[in-house]
Amino acid sequence: MTLLALSEQVINGLIIGIFYALAALGLSLIFGVLKIVNFAHGELYMLGGFVYYVFSSLLGLPPVAAVLVACSGLFVVGMAIEHLLIDPIHRGKVERADEYAIMITFGLALLLQNLMLSVFGPWTNRPEAIFRGRIEIGMLIISGDRLSAASLGIVLICAILYLLRYTWAGKAVRAVSQDRETAAIVGVNAKLTGMLAFGLGAALAGAAGALIGPVFLVYPTMGVIPVIKAYVIVVLGGLGSVPGAILGALILGQVENLATVLVPDTTRALAYKDAYGLVLLVLVLVFRPQGLLGEKVRRS
Amino acid sequence: MTGHAVSPRAVLGAGVVTGFAALPLFGLDEYWIYILTIGFYYAILASSWSLLVGYVGRISFAHVAMSGIGAYTSVLASGSFGWPLYFSIPLAGLVTGLAGLAIGRLCLRLHGAYLGLTTIAFSEIVRITITAEYELTRGSLGLAAVGLFETTDRLPYYYSFLAILLVCLLIMWLILRSRIGMFFAAIREDEDAAASLGVKVVRWKIFAFTFSSVIAGIAGGFYAHFVQLVAPSMMSIQEMGLVLSMAVVGGFQNIFYAALGGILLEVLLEAMREIGEWRMTAFALAVILILRYAPNGLFGELVRTLSTRKAPA
Repeated sequence: MTLLALSEQVINGLIIGIFYALAALGLSLIFGVLKIVNFAHGELYMLGGFVYYVFSSLLGLPPVAAVLVACSGLFVVGMAIEHLLIDPIHRGKVERADEYAIMITFGLALLLQNLMLSVFGPWTNRPEAIFRGRIEIGMLIISGDRLSAASLGIVLICAILYLLRYTWAGKAVRAVSQDRETAAIVGVNAKLTGMLAFGLGAALAGAAGALIGPVFLVYPTMGVIPVIKAYVIVVLGGLGSVPGAILGALILGQVENLATVLVPDTTRALAYKDAYGLVLLVLVLVFRPQGLLGEKVRRS
Repeated sequence: MTGHAVSPRAVLGAGVVTGFAALPLFGLDEYWIYILTIGFYYAILASSWSLLVGYVGRISFAHVAMSGIGAYTSVLASGSFGWPLYFSIPLAGLVTGLAGLAIGRLCLRLHGAYLGLTTIAFSEIVRITITAEYELTRGSLGLAAVGLFETTDRLPYYYSFLAILLVCLLIMWLILRSRIGMFFAAIREDEDAAASLGVKVVRWKIFAFTFSSVIAGIAGGFYAHFVQLVAPSMMSIQEMGLVLSMAVVGGFQNIFYAALGGILLEVLLEAMREIGEWRMTAFALAVILILRYAPNGLFGELVRTLSTRKAPA
């Protein structure tokens, strides 16, 4: 393989990794604060794609504005979900909280997927991209829709990192992640922080869906495979670790792209592209179950 | 429940079984016999899934994948290698048991969410792999399978699936009322306390997951030779959602209620055919509302209201 082909794959992997990071970051944020895995994350991503499609292609909004609409719309949806379905756990309204959390989010995923199937049908939609055309760096050619979406993704990731690091709300999120009770004692509104975390997580998923929509198309089951990648990533990086989620996403992006090139039988290599994540997942579970940057927790 | 010579629940159960056994005698048409047979298959899946979820407190999203693996194992063994069905169907159980053992050993030492995450990934990747291995499995076209019986008559299938369902329920019930059932309950309520009292927590969790996988695998094996076609779509996330809905709507904290939920939802799925995709939307909404407001499920709440009303009299 030539150096050119290799660097092309590395850049492709990097771009995919950024999309993965957007989705995984939200999942990690939600797990950190609420200690639940959101099994409806892929469907929030799908909703983001549909909001983007409706506003950019059907209503004719400029693409960047439509991405922002998708983000803020999903932020509100996320807060509503937390308030209606997740908060009862913390108010002691449900028995068997762990099972409830997994099943209720999975049920929500089922609801959103079938609702969109009923309303929009199973067909794929291709919304307008932020920027079409190609960008050439020397011999390297990168498609513009991917590059522009990835750049906007980087901006969003940086914004979230800034928010978590330097604002009061971000400190509240980190405090509740570490210890819900103690955070409440020193005056953090844990309930509001939970809603904020779920809202932000949903907004990130929505952004990922909106940005990827023009590249990988928008349809009701578009979230199924990407969210499985996000699950692999958060286990790889460490459940609840924000830097771990970003690192894991970049690693998975590279593994998938390079493994596809390195397997000689090309059709089979492409078919198995989504399966490499499972190999990674098994390796992590065997050798480092707490993930790359996760804290070792007591078995329970 | 205890102490009486015959408990009212046992009478109710016997009544339901007799009802299902007698249905074809009252001129139920072929179509509905076929649908009910599928309902029995789902009842096996929903009840064995609820064994893990309701009694041990662990959630797997690979249950229909296990059934699919069982189905493909039996079809490939009987079709490509020409093995008889009384050999290929137990083989299906063995293969899914090994898969369950491997996943269980990887995940069940960790937080409960890990099993959910790993099984959902496993399930999709099995589906992708089976679709991709075109030469062996004919991809999404699916594989034809030989029938359990020579005849095209629906009745032998109906009664065999009813019998298989009852045998599965009986085995699960016997396990649950033995010491093992106590271990399960102890693990579900408080793992650390259970471990401190000498319950081999990880071992029994792995046992429960492996056992429910074996049942799913065998059910899948039988199912393949009933519908006589296996395709990767039988292991989709949508299908897993259907099984989860069945268990939750019926009542996932009791294997019998979950089984009834399986039959009920399969019948509803057919009866509401004209509304198309909205059926699953309605089921999913029902799942959310039931989990939130009536976690015992339809049959659990029904039995509870009936028994509390009777109590003062």
